[in-house]
Amino acid sequence: MNWRHLNRTIHRDLGYLCCGLTLIYVISGVAVNHVDRWNPSYRLTRIESNIGSLTGITQEKLVPEIMQRVGENRQLKNVFSSAPGEMTVFVEGNTIVVNLLSGNTVQERYLPRSFLYEVNFLHLNHPKKLWTWFADLYAIGLGLLAITGLFVLQGRQGIKGRGAVLVAVGLSVPLFFLWLYL
Amino acid sequence: MKLRLVLFLLILFCSAAAHAGVEGVYGKGITLTEVTPVSAIYDAPQDYVGKKVLIEGMIIEVCAARGCWVYLSSDRPFEKIRVKVTDGEIVFPIAAQGHLAKVEGVVQEIRRSREQVIAWRKHLAEEKGAPFDPATVTGPEVTYRLRGLGAVID
Repeated sequence: MNWRHLNRTIHRDLGYLCCGLTLIYVISGVAVNHVDRWNPSYRLTRIESNIGSLTGITQEKLVPEIMQRVGENRQLKNVFSSAPGEMTVFVEGNTIVVNLLSGNTVQERYLPRSFLYEVNFLHLNHPKKLWTWFADLYAIGLGLLAITGLFVLQGRQGIKGRGAVLVAVGLSVPLFFLWLYL
Repeated sequence: MKLRLVLFLLILFCSAAAHAGVEGVYGKGITLTEVTPVSAIYDAPQDYVGKKVLIEGMIIEVCAARGCWVYLSSDRPFEKIRVKVTDGEIVFPIAAQGHLAKVEGVVQEIRRSREQVIAWRKHLAEEKGAPFDPATVTGPEVTYRLRGLGAVID
């Protein structure tokens, strides 16, 4: 087996291996790039309402009463008193801020975006641990994919011809933006 | 058969991450052992500005857009402190709200003019899609926050 054949084999098989994760990073990359316009991992909904005054209700019945009035039956996480006469109730997927006197309520509901939550979870390296090493391996794989890709073709279409021009164009794009913004 | 395998892997992939909790170590984790009460920082901020401390409390608010800051409850009623982290270095998930956490970082003093306070609060309101009235800002502000380096969420 000559080195070109080996190069092609490595390039082809790495391409197959890296395909899944590359698509994950592509989708997440675009989603995360526009983080100033939206939350790429969660769908957020803000609901303002009035659930009526809660004065006169005993402390132990207060939280169940609030949850019942807003129609919330998910798992209670915690409770915090952010100001006198104000209570924040944390529920799985919802944060409820209530003015106990007026009954004015603000709910901030959050729901993980299907698929995007998962791809961002991996792309932003939330798992840490073993995933960090796997992501490093993937990065090395991508590097090898790029290098072996340079030598797949020979002649005028290869790195000594058209390939060289395209590589130069590809390199000049980040250099241009560095010059522009740095 | 192949399509079924792909669909199975996709469902497995989605369900595996969806059940991942928010508990865990964020950023560089924590190295200090002694917890500084948040109230102590507010009582004598100049004793702590520039120093690394470990604080603990309930995560009561998370940056809705980037997860780049949280508000941690104080040991004193109705009090909270903001923890700012470098964008992308630590990303706090919204689901961390209501969880208890320990955060390590450096205490910072932030001075803002009235105009800066208005711009800042407008930005926060926009992030949450909440209304904001500039008239609620009466003057310049001095606030204290933690430049978060690491955290452990329970």
